[in-house]
Amino acid sequence: MRLDLPQGTLDLLILRTLALEPQHGWALSNRIRQLSSEAVLIQQGTLYPALHRLERRGMIRSRWGPSDNNRRARYYELTKKGFRQLEHEVANWQQLATVVAQVLNTV
Amino acid sequence: MFSDIRYRIRALFRRDLMETELAEEIRLHVEREVEESVRRGVGPDEARRLARLALGGQEQVKEECRDARGVALIRMLIQDLRYAARLLRKSPGYSGAAILTLALCIGSTTAIFTIINSFLLRPLPVYQPDRLVGIRELRVDRPIPFLDPYAWEQIRNRPNLFESVCGWTQTRFNIAERGQADNVEGLGVSGEFFETLGVPAMLGRMFTRADDRKGGGPDGPVAVISHGFWQRRFGGAGNVIGRTVSLDRTSYIIVGVAPPRFFGAEVGRSFDVAVPIAVTGTASWLYVTARLRPDQTPESATAALRAAQPQIREAALPKAVAAGATANLYLSQPLSATPAATGQATGSTPLRDRFERPLWAMLLLAILVVLIACANVANLVLARAVARRHELSVRRALGASGSRLACQVLAESLLLSVIGASLGLVMAGVFSEVLVGMVSSATSPIFLDLSLDWRVLGFTAAISVGTALLFGLIPALRAARVQPQAALREGGRSQASAKRVGVNHALIVAEVSLSLILVVAAGLFVQTFTGMATTVGFDQGRTLILRLNANDAKVPPAARPALYERVRQAVATVPGVSDAVTLRTVPVSSDHWVANVMVSGYPPPAAAEAPTFLNAVGPGYFAVFGTPILEGRGFAAEDRSGTPLVAVVNETFARRHVGDRSPIGETLTFGETGTYSPPFRIVGLAKDSGSAIYFGLREGIPSTVYLSIGQMNPEIANFAPPAAFRVAVRFAASSPAALARAAAVAVNRIAPDMRVDAKSMASYVRDNIATERLTAMLSGLFGALSLLLAAVGVYGVVAYAVMQRRSEIGIRLALGASPAEVIRMLLIRTARVVGVGLAIGGAISFWTSRFVAALLFGLEPRDPATFASAAVVLAAVGLLAGWLPARQAARIDPVSTLRTE
Repeated sequence: MRLDLPQGTLDLLILRTLALEPQHGWALSNRIRQLSSEAVLIQQGTLYPALHRLERRGMIRSRWGPSDNNRRARYYELTKKGFRQLEHEVANWQQLATVVAQVLNTV
Repeated sequence: MFSDIRYRIRALFRRDLMETELAEEIRLHVEREVEESVRRGVGPDEARRLARLALGGQEQVKEECRDARGVALIRMLIQDLRYAARLLRKSPGYSGAAILTLALCIGSTTAIFTIINSFLLRPLPVYQPDRLVGIRELRVDRPIPFLDPYAWEQIRNRPNLFESVCGWTQTRFNIAERGQADNVEGLGVSGEFFETLGVPAMLGRMFTRADDRKGGGPDGPVAVISHGFWQRRFGGAGNVIGRTVSLDRTSYIIVGVAPPRFFGAEVGRSFDVAVPIAVTGTASWLYVTARLRPDQTPESATAALRAAQPQIREAALPKAVAAGATANLYLSQPLSATPAATGQATGSTPLRDRFERPLWAMLLLAILVVLIACANVANLVLARAVARRHELSVRRALGASGSRLACQVLAESLLLSVIGASLGLVMAGVFSEVLVGMVSSATSPIFLDLSLDWRVLGFTAAISVGTALLFGLIPALRAARVQPQAALREGGRSQASAKRVGVNHALIVAEVSLSLILVVAAGLFVQTFTGMATTVGFDQGRTLILRLNANDAKVPPAARPALYERVRQAVATVPGVSDAVTLRTVPVSSDHWVANVMVSGYPPPAAAEAPTFLNAVGPGYFAVFGTPILEGRGFAAEDRSGTPLVAVVNETFARRHVGDRSPIGETLTFGETGTYSPPFRIVGLAKDSGSAIYFGLREGIPSTVYLSIGQMNPEIANFAPPAAFRVAVRFAASSPAALARAAAVAVNRIAPDMRVDAKSMASYVRDNIATERLTAMLSGLFGALSLLLAAVGVYGVVAYAVMQRRSEIGIRLALGASPAEVIRMLLIRTARVVGVGLAIGGAISFWTSRFVAALLFGLEPRDPATFASAAVVLAAVGLLAGWLPARQAARIDPVSTLRTE
């Protein structure tokens, strides 16, 4: 089964994946797919607007570099602000997940 | 935040680079996806299909990325503006007409606002102007903005009241040694003046308290000159410090030059030379400006001042009473500190009080003209929108949203108004200079720093956006409602839409009604002006006033009347002079002589009544100043020193003092409490005339007593001959300037050192009614402009209707309608619309005209004749503007229209 992403979680996944190492767009989408055991369906089309938005907000920055098979590719990496944001959002998410689980279990 | 802005700026200005980068990024993604699939064994074509499927529409992804950059709106606006610019360039006639109309109207509005800004809103160009206050004395009836020198001395001796305090007066110096006068604007200031205002010297030094002593300080009499005077008189010479300037025959050493933008402490005036006040002699009153300590407010300063006031007044009382003050009044009138950040009001009728209301009224009229211009431009834009209907509906069919089309039409309006406003801003610079020049004169100059600032720019920006919305909104909304199928259905054929006609008529109604308001205003203000100009009632154009001072000839007071007469005779011999009379006070000059007057045997008039004005005049005065003697006689050469004292009174005086009886033969005395003159016998009754008015012409003719200047004598109480006297010259030929030169030569022949300051009587009157001239000229201009705009508006709408109904009219003509019937048909429609506009405009004018009642003179704000003639003029203009295109319609060739059907 493939899961649809709840609103706003794509940004979180992108930040988390980029925290490991700088990636270009296609590799990033692949990586998210692998890390989520193919369970998350990312519309590839939504990835790029999200990247541009994150860059505008200063969470990530981009630079051009050679890709694995020696083509020019645009690499995205986390900024300091991005790391802070990631920490913050991870904490938020975990708190939310706990609370939701708690509610679901008690009712 | 900062990175965000940097990113957006990059997105805006490096758009091409970002576009290629985006395209490359997407391309790489697709290629890698395809390679991956091929590696897994999918066929190349199928792999490409899958990759495209996984990504979604490429253009859509790109568009979303562009949106994510956060500049989509701005980008769209720029695109729309570019498109609008292309359209405007394509039809220069249309754009030119719209831009010129807007520029003219926005320009005149901005010009008036520029003056209001410089005059009323802008702070003084000094250090922290909001900490300045002016000290006023609150009298029973009104506050007066000046203090007597004794109270000032006491305030100055109490350094704890304020951070610092200074006193100053305005004066005028004659820098000529003899002959024709050469006047410069002067300031008499206390030593603390420049320090209190926080104005550093540009060159040299400013004054210190040490300079402010009788006879001068360590450097003797010193002067600080303004930047403008330094440029004009000394050519900006660097060695000006240490040079001397002669003011009223006293030599001053120039010690400093003030910075360029500093003009003094009052807005509207400027100075050439400032000198320490103690050097020029004691002033009888002065303006007092204080700088508050940082912790003080005007209220706390007023409280401190009031607390110290009893001691201040007690200490100043002996000298003040000796100078004529009434003790109990003097002690009771409270002092107060009023904010003076935007300059200090001076004089009995401060410039601000004279100009504030007229200026705001004119701004309002100018805005009405802008509204009419908006209606006109809206008409143009609408007509174009109809022409572009086809294009708009095609765009709609191709997927543009209604709001997108509206934005495009609005962008065009915005572009028009911004270009118009920028041009208007340039015009405003010129207009405002011209306007100030109109109310200023050589003898009472008005100076305003008219440079642009953020307030003026903000005002113009607001007007330009406001107008764009006003004239662009209806066409924009209309564009938004264009249906995609409209282009197909109409098949390109034009059709008159009933709605469009409705909007057109509404615009004409608006234009005509606004126009009527402006024409009525123009009528009222112009009649006020002409009424006041003729109130004076004598030939101002042919009368020249020579201002002289007996001290120049160094004669003792007792010999002054003889000197007056010698000077008068010298002037009378100048070729071209038909009359020359001496007088103490010039009518409408604001110079005056008032006193309490009592007629023996009659009760004195109530204390609340206005005092009587006095003047001392020579024989011939009544003829020159258009004041017929109704009873008895005027003055003769025999009324000189040693003969029985005589007086002539005017009708108002007679009514007030002796009622219905004849005043001839009665005796009067005049003076202040305690000191009265000996009795004067009334020998003549003069007609009430405008020449008895010394202040504002709207104030009416006051009670007046004329005395013989030849009888003036230092021995007689209240009747000493003054040093300053005037000779009024009536001349037949030659120009006032040539006459002034010849008169100066003639005077110098008998009194070699005498200086002669000439001013035409007409310019006295001009100065007196400067505000009325300003309002009359401006409202007249606006009225004419609005008539023109309304005419163009009506013409445009009727011409458009004719174009739309061309075939219909052709058919009517072909079926036998006469050209006259066609014209009548079109005109009746126009007349109805114009009539509605007149009715609405008339009602609004009727209701609002009372707000300008205070600015009018000699007629009611609802003057029926003015209203009626304004309506007639506007109706005539409207019908003429409608008749021109209607006549064209009547000439339509029925055959040719039928052929195009």
